[in-house]
Amino acid sequence: MIAITAPSQRFSRLLANPSAGAILLLVILIVAMSVAFPNFFTGINAGNVSNQMVFVLLLALGMTVVLITGGIDLSVGSVMGLSAGIGAYTITSGAPLVVGLLTTMAVGAFLGLINGIMITKLGLPDFIATLAMLGVARGALFLWTGGVPIIGYMLPEYYVISGLSQPFGFITVPILIAIVAVVVVAVVLKFTSYGRHAYGLGSSPHAAVLSGVPVARIKVIAYMISGLMAGVAGMIMAGRNTTVAPTMGLGYEVAAIAAAIIGGAALGGGRGSAFGAVIGALVLSITANAINIAGVSSSWQQVVTGGVLLLAVVFDRVSSLIRARSARLATRLAHA
Amino acid sequence: MSDTKIISEVKKNGVSRRSLLTSMGLGAGVIATTGLLSACSTVAPTGSAAATGGAAAAGSIGGSVYDAEIKKLVAGRELQVGWTPPILSEFFNQMENAAFGRMAELEAAYGVKWKWERSSPTGNFDAVEQQISTVRGWTTRKFDAVLVCTGANFATMQDVYTEAADSGTSVFQFNQPVEIYEPDQISTVSNIGYDNRSQSGYLAGKFIADTLGGKGKVIQIMGPSGSDWTKARLIGFAKAMAENPGMEVVGSADGGYVREKGLNAAQDLLTRFRDVNAIYGENEDMALGALQAVEAAGLKLWDGTDGIVIIGADGLISGMDSIVAGKLTATIDVGSVDQGRTFIDTIFHNVVLGESVGKFIEVPTRVVTKTNVAAAQAYINNALKPAKTY
Amino acid sequence: MSVRTRLTQTLAIDGLPVAAALALAVVFFSLASPFFLTQENISNLLTQSLFVIILAAGMTFVLIVGGFDLSVGAATGLSAATTMLVLMNGGALPLGILAGIATGMAFGIINGFFIAVMEINAFIVTLATLSIGAGALQVLTTGTQLTGVSLPAFAWLTKGSILGIPTGVVITLVIVAALEWVLLFTTFGRTIFAVGTNPRAAFLAGTPVRRLTFSVYLLSGTIAGLAGVLLASHLNSVQPGLGQGYELSAIAAAVLGGVSLAGGRGSVWRAVIGALFLATMAQGLQLIGVDPLWFSIVTGASIVIAVAFDRAVQQWVIKQLAAATTKRQIFDDSDASASVSADAPTTSATRSSVRNTK
Repeated sequence: MIAITAPSQRFSRLLANPSAGAILLLVILIVAMSVAFPNFFTGINAGNVSNQMVFVLLLALGMTVVLITGGIDLSVGSVMGLSAGIGAYTITSGAPLVVGLLTTMAVGAFLGLINGIMITKLGLPDFIATLAMLGVARGALFLWTGGVPIIGYMLPEYYVISGLSQPFGFITVPILIAIVAVVVVAVVLKFTSYGRHAYGLGSSPHAAVLSGVPVARIKVIAYMISGLMAGVAGMIMAGRNTTVAPTMGLGYEVAAIAAAIIGGAALGGGRGSAFGAVIGALVLSITANAINIAGVSSSWQQVVTGGVLLLAVVFDRVSSLIRARSARLATRLAHA
Repeated sequence: MSDTKIISEVKKNGVSRRSLLTSMGLGAGVIATTGLLSACSTVAPTGSAAATGGAAAAGSIGGSVYDAEIKKLVAGRELQVGWTPPILSEFFNQMENAAFGRMAELEAAYGVKWKWERSSPTGNFDAVEQQISTVRGWTTRKFDAVLVCTGANFATMQDVYTEAADSGTSVFQFNQPVEIYEPDQISTVSNIGYDNRSQSGYLAGKFIADTLGGKGKVIQIMGPSGSDWTKARLIGFAKAMAENPGMEVVGSADGGYVREKGLNAAQDLLTRFRDVNAIYGENEDMALGALQAVEAAGLKLWDGTDGIVIIGADGLISGMDSIVAGKLTATIDVGSVDQGRTFIDTIFHNVVLGESVGKFIEVPTRVVTKTNVAAAQAYINNALKPAKTY
Repeated sequence: MSVRTRLTQTLAIDGLPVAAALALAVVFFSLASPFFLTQENISNLLTQSLFVIILAAGMTFVLIVGGFDLSVGAATGLSAATTMLVLMNGGALPLGILAGIATGMAFGIINGFFIAVMEINAFIVTLATLSIGAGALQVLTTGTQLTGVSLPAFAWLTKGSILGIPTGVVITLVIVAALEWVLLFTTFGRTIFAVGTNPRAAFLAGTPVRRLTFSVYLLSGTIAGLAGVLLASHLNSVQPGLGQGYELSAIAAAVLGGVSLAGGRGSVWRAVIGALFLATMAQGLQLIGVDPLWFSIVTGASIVIAVAFDRAVQQWVIKQLAAATTKRQIFDDSDASASVSADAPTTSATRSSVRNTK
């Protein structure tokens, strides 16, 4: 009996990971690309992908927290642009680099705070409040700059912080920042009372209210984390681009939400993990990288991206169906 | 047929007079590129005309008698003008300031008053529809002249322009790749710009080929597929590549006209093709992104004898800074300043004085390299400080 | 009945604040610009906002079952393209219209299959079909110009007029009225409210949840197809990126009109009011000469104010009803708020009323 169930148990344990589908797709994508293009599976390309994915990853981490509490944050792309702009401006007007970087992150967190207040105190739907913030932050950046990119803030240290210069090989500072962010978010979600409350709030808002969870505070903090992540992403992108154009971050909210959901977060709340966000960001970044390397005609790019997205969720669904079936099988065997 | 001939005659005359008036400070930039320009099959008439331009005395434009007579004709008229670029950017900022400069000059000389309204989408969503409704709104408000550069569909815009003309608003396009459409289908008064094929794409391709001695591998980072600019520039670039059989385009990617996408695309392509000799960024922001990718990959930039040649197109102060720093090899300056000054002149001649203007007015464009970057940059910097803003 | 009670009852009607905001905006812009109330401008405004109105009406159904459809913009664009393709190749007008609607339905069927049958997250499925649809439009429009159909009947669909009213407006009115009727007076309409409010309970009560969910996406896709046909007629040309962003406008319009993203709440006319409000703001600001860079800021701020006001009114109504019931010594307070929330269970409102009672 044991001899028969062991492999199936190992299989179901593998599938027990909520990101199993996305991981499977990732493996297939990597293997196929490596076979077709010898330059794909190289250290240099791994460096490219990890540096390119940092932005979507950071935003997806914040988005995951918001999604877990049952919200959604459409403003991250605009917040990223505006906070990068303000941070860069403080440096050009003579503030030391550290002040500039802290300003960028603080502006991000502050805009997140405003989102949170609009949602909890004014009672706006999450979608509407953050959609308004998307418009207001982007409009403010355009009005303020008049369309002219902000330049002149690239102090020598900024090249290191943004990963443009790589004193430690392809493990750049942005990658280190991303790793720290992943670990922190994972720990907060898994091991703190904030994390427990967030999951509880997302899976059953009414029960959370009745059991005395400080709903407003949990929500506001979630949006602040999301805003902070957008600020950090903006800080790195300002360095990577060496200018802050008013279009910076345009459309990134969609990539962030997609990455979080591919990684197992749900729009209804209560589901998601930091690890899942990593997988989701990897799927998106490797797809974009593969499209460029394979030389897919740019007309077809969107079709391919959409196809991969659909595959990712279908894989996820199939793996969870298998998971459910093997669980049923296991209980039946246990009863027998 | 004879009609078009007459129009082009008028255009030549109009342009040469105008360039006498406007070409202050063009200097070495144009002179250095006249040779390259004349290599194209369709040379813009302004190219040679502008180069012959000299400086007029400050304040006076056509001599004191002429100025006084024109001032009488203008009779202090106020002109309501709307200007809608597809997005606000460094490029269109240079152009707007240049326009302000020319407006101030005409106001000082002839007493024409300007009311200027700028309207540009932020790119969040509904960008194209927003520009259509902007032009419709200006038509409803009976503007005298409307200046448009848009990514909206060609046929749709012609309907909008016809509506505007019917209700008395003159429509002009600027920086619009009209050259890929049938001239008699275009329903604007005039189109001020340049030929993206011969005056941008071809120049870039030829510069790469000439610099590399006619042999090498090229990566191209393109704008969004389906965009008219991308289509037109690609025609010219492909022509230059075809004229140099030693040149090979090995890879191509979509950089969406923005830096971060240009950087990512260049990084990915460099992974597969590490032995490239040149990168063509179809606009300057993407070329600068590609430049960062080359630097990050530890590859050598062109130093005059070897390394990777990178060329962009737009003619931005930021791109020229990079050329001065010896990083970006070259860029195609597509005349942001001249376009701004010229469309104001065109409106003045056509709407205020009732003169005829050419349907297609092409400004000079130039390849900017380390040799002529100082002049090109000085010209833009001067335009960025208009006597008056509107 | 006291004045206060009557006021309470009137204000309890959902969507009133947004309707009031719309009226306020119309009055303001009419005073601020002599061009606003001209026939030319009103017909421009209505014709330009038709597409978002139609899509918002279809979106209402999806939102009521607690779903989400991001693909409607891309579906509209691609439907416009297929209509143009058929007409350009000499197809008859009915065939062209059918092709457009069929394209929209195809989106609905694909979305419905993955969401209802495979039970995959609606956001990601429709994001994927958005991407595929927009990409397909790119592929179709690269190389060929989709333009130049000279069928008078085709142009009449949006540019003609019936009894002095633009045809497009009449068609939209018919679509909106039909959809509102379906939502309010058919079993289908009533059941989707049940599904949206509590899918599990609906399932246990024997409601064919899957089939209903599928039909809702099919409906949304079909409506997008219709919008595409009208858009093709309006523009007489199709370009890459057509319809992009319509989905956000449609969702924003519906939510602004009080349709809940959580499902179970909404009506077609309210979504239409929301769409009209957004369009009026954009058009009005344009007419009084505000730089569009301000649009997103002003529109964003006005959305926040309108919805916050809506919520404050609901709170006040709940308080009044609660006070009334206490006076009558009926202690079942939850019953009183339920009578309001039958139409307006704003989650945050109920949530904070819970907080208030503590």
